[in-house]
Amino acid sequence: MSLQLTDIVKSFKEDLVLDGVSLDVATGETLVLFGPSGAGKTVLLRLIAGVIEPDEGSIRINGADMDGVEPEDRGIGMAFQNFALFPHMDARENIASPLIARRESKTGIKRRVEDVARLLKIDHVLHHKPKELSNGQKQRTALGRALAGEPSILLLDDPLRNVDAKLRFEMRLELPRLLKDQQATVIYVTQDYKEAMALGDRIAVMSGHGIAQIGTPEDIYLSPANTEIARLFGDPVINLLEVTPERGEAGVQVKLSGTAVPINPGYTGSIGHSCILGIRPEGIHFADAGTPGAFPVTIEAETPLNEKTVTLAATENKREILISRPSGTSAPDSGQAHIVIDSGAVILFDRATGNRIALPATDAAKGGAA
Amino acid sequence: MSETMLRLENVDKFYGPIGKGVHAVRNINMDVAKGDIIALLGSSGCGKTSTLRMIAGFEETSRGKIFLSGREVHRLPPVKRHVAMAFEGYSLYPTVNVRDNIAFALKAAKLPEAEVASRVRDVAEMLEISDILDRMPNSISGGQQQRASLARALIRDADLHLLDEPMGQLEPQLRTLLRGRIKHFIKQRGLTAILVTHDQTEANALADRIAVMEGGVLQQYGSPAEIKERPANLFTGTFVGEPPMNVFPVTASTVGDKLHFDLEGGLDLAYASNAFAPDVREAILKRGRVMVGVRPYAVRRSEHGPAARVLTNQWLGDQSHIAAAFANGNLVLVEHDRARVGIGEEIRVELDPADLHVFDLESGKAISHGQELA
Amino acid sequence: MEHTSTLEKVLRGTAITLVILFFMFPIFWIFLMSFQTNETILRVPPSIVFDPTLSNYTALITGKLDTAAGTLEISFMKNLWNSLFLSAASVAVGLVLGVPAAYAFARLKFRGSEDIAFTLLSFRFAPPLLVLLPLTIYFQQIGLADTYLGLIWVYQLIVLPLILWIVRGYFEDIPADVEYAYRIAGHSWGATFRKIALPLAGPGIAAAGLLAFIFAWNNFVFALVLASADKQPVTVGALAFVTASGIQYGQVAAGIVLSILPTFALALYAQRYLVEGLSLGAVKG
Repeated sequence: MSLQLTDIVKSFKEDLVLDGVSLDVATGETLVLFGPSGAGKTVLLRLIAGVIEPDEGSIRINGADMDGVEPEDRGIGMAFQNFALFPHMDARENIASPLIARRESKTGIKRRVEDVARLLKIDHVLHHKPKELSNGQKQRTALGRALAGEPSILLLDDPLRNVDAKLRFEMRLELPRLLKDQQATVIYVTQDYKEAMALGDRIAVMSGHGIAQIGTPEDIYLSPANTEIARLFGDPVINLLEVTPERGEAGVQVKLSGTAVPINPGYTGSIGHSCILGIRPEGIHFADAGTPGAFPVTIEAETPLNEKTVTLAATENKREILISRPSGTSAPDSGQAHIVIDSGAVILFDRATGNRIALPATDAAKGGAA
Repeated sequence: MSETMLRLENVDKFYGPIGKGVHAVRNINMDVAKGDIIALLGSSGCGKTSTLRMIAGFEETSRGKIFLSGREVHRLPPVKRHVAMAFEGYSLYPTVNVRDNIAFALKAAKLPEAEVASRVRDVAEMLEISDILDRMPNSISGGQQQRASLARALIRDADLHLLDEPMGQLEPQLRTLLRGRIKHFIKQRGLTAILVTHDQTEANALADRIAVMEGGVLQQYGSPAEIKERPANLFTGTFVGEPPMNVFPVTASTVGDKLHFDLEGGLDLAYASNAFAPDVREAILKRGRVMVGVRPYAVRRSEHGPAARVLTNQWLGDQSHIAAAFANGNLVLVEHDRARVGIGEEIRVELDPADLHVFDLESGKAISHGQELA
Repeated sequence: MEHTSTLEKVLRGTAITLVILFFMFPIFWIFLMSFQTNETILRVPPSIVFDPTLSNYTALITGKLDTAAGTLEISFMKNLWNSLFLSAASVAVGLVLGVPAAYAFARLKFRGSEDIAFTLLSFRFAPPLLVLLPLTIYFQQIGLADTYLGLIWVYQLIVLPLILWIVRGYFEDIPADVEYAYRIAGHSWGATFRKIALPLAGPGIAAAGLLAFIFAWNNFVFALVLASADKQPVTVGALAFVTASGIQYGQVAAGIVLSILPTFALALYAQRYLVEGLSLGAVKG
């Protein structure tokens, strides 16, 4: 079912949390709400679930206004970050609770609970109380409870936050299939950008009481609306360098360590005024000294990060640059090296507002079907 | 050889009567060199926190000995052990402000005021809490409380600094930033620290050596590179590494001059006779059935090799994570750029013998890593 | 290697024994007294060697009190029954009223909720004597004086704030998310209250009920003024032992033994339940 939020305003006492949030989620879509804690992601989920009421604005599920509709009547399933399992009921009763509420037959409930449990690989612990379950099993039980009633809208509040890395990764691979099978409309809250990119059909980045940018993972990663969002996606973090665009022989260019680096030919911003050049660490490569656009840096430190090697280097005027490359690929081992910037991956931001000012021309080439 | 700061000798922890109660920590032996950062890594309930609390003295050592800086300390109360600890639940003194919380131990030790002030300033700047020093603990966020608690531990002069999940409440961006700074802070001052964490990225980034724990047993104790390249057993191999290592059971045999690994689902990996060193080859063939592990980064798509059907393809900006149905299980592969394979598509994969980790099927102990015996 | 030395264990055991002796001695002494006659009780020096007699208990149960001046009619058993009935009924009414109210105070932050909750608690501040006179007059006017109903009503002053404040704390400890989860699963708030809040706060409700029972049982002043002989609880009825010809220590002791039995039994029974309930309550885990 589709979900529409229109101009939602919500504050707690004097604290304004959401200020005019509008959101349109299509049937069967997985929308990720991403942002730092305190950005109002969880509040938004709770408003949709109906356990709190908005001060202003409307929530529509499949066109029907939810004002005054109790949580139990909204046809929603929800998994909580802290699992919120019923401690006095075993896993079976926990998962069965939405079915019991609908007064389904005993055999029907048993069958559905066991199907869900098998899918989530917890069928062997159904008789355990929550305190006897491992964290991973708790998480799956919570997910099973949310899925059991085959809700048309599924709200998942950072469900992988409290499980270990291995399980989190496995679930990240499994979840999309699980969710597509359910054919539910999913709102997924996370603080982990990898989860957001892996799971979201679209990502809504929340900051400052509202949605700062909404788009596909490509949109957000390749064309972040501002420097703040650019910094939230990607590990290691994007390089942001102050530069001054100028006209060169091959179009617009900037000078880095005295070397002219061509930037987006479609750049329409002002010339001669400084702006922020954003380049992700994987958009920088080591090169031979003679390569066009290559400029010298001093290598300061190298650290491994998930099969990548991250190099911290400094330009001639002591600006720090992070460069990442797949582990095992060669790099200059001396302290001095030359690097080139992939001009197609450059993102430019306004210096005063931090907003992105030009689309890299190679967007179309970078995007496309997964 | 550097000086040993901490030594655990046959340390056991029972909750309940010795020998009968819950055996939470099983016969741990470990040496920590002065100036090292050690990470106790494991999932919840693996015994890492019990171990830390025994070192701190908050938990009785059921059996075995603990030496700190040469002194036998396992019977001493916490105050006499000369250790500093940052707690997972922040445990700030609620009645004094953040500054006084951090400075507490230094003031108690009657250090000159100017020195206390400058040390508080340094640690607060490092942890980005300079702006909340005058606030009371209950008026700051959980993440800020955790950093204040960490500051209170790091500022102290102690033989050993114990940090229990020091960054669990922090946001990912801040955590990434602080990792480097905390490591720098500890190294610069020559402190010895033990960090308890379930986050392997944190362990890898901070620690000189990692102690991997599971089921109360120390599974492996080594440098991050050792643990990655030479996992001692199946548990360590699949626990450390993100995404986790792919493992599948195979039956090894020789046909002609080729070494064959028969996988479940009728798949077959064939390697030339010289693909493995003779002793590795012999060790594998002797067992017949073994567990083969390969890291997701080492799996390559190719024209030949066994087939796998793509289940998901997730692009994370700088990497693609692909899961494929393979040999009655899942095979995960990671590529460093955007992989253009659709769901349901068939791919063929190549597993370089140099990248294979072979484990004993029963005991889980490593047999070989690439060309070398374990 | 044992960490807890034998000496430590012995010392700990001795200390605990001493504390128990200190607290249990009066009760033990009263228990002994209840099997003695006034003469043996009052002899100097006191001794624990005596011929046990059941005369005190028979006197209480038959209602015939033998004094030096003759036989006195007392209604101890009736009083005991009154105590039981009044306390149980008061706690029952208190729970029915107090538990839902506690839930409301814990979950719904309505305007003035704190003030109302505090007002209810403040009933415990005022000395009962302060309200007794007006209360007596009102009760006589509306015909509630010397009725069980009137007493149970007045007992709510003692019972209700206690239940309300204790149980409220337990409800507040239940994470709101657990209740939200149950509602989102499709259950009404009423069902959520019955199936989630009540069971999870069970140990707290039991503890509050037990405490309230003890407080109600031990009440003296309200019953003294508002109840006549046939509605009096033991606390008031025990006054009868102070007779014109002296205090009947043996019978007082027997009376005390009989009157602490119900609370004692209840505490023992509830303790088992409380421990079980509390260890089950992994509400926060």
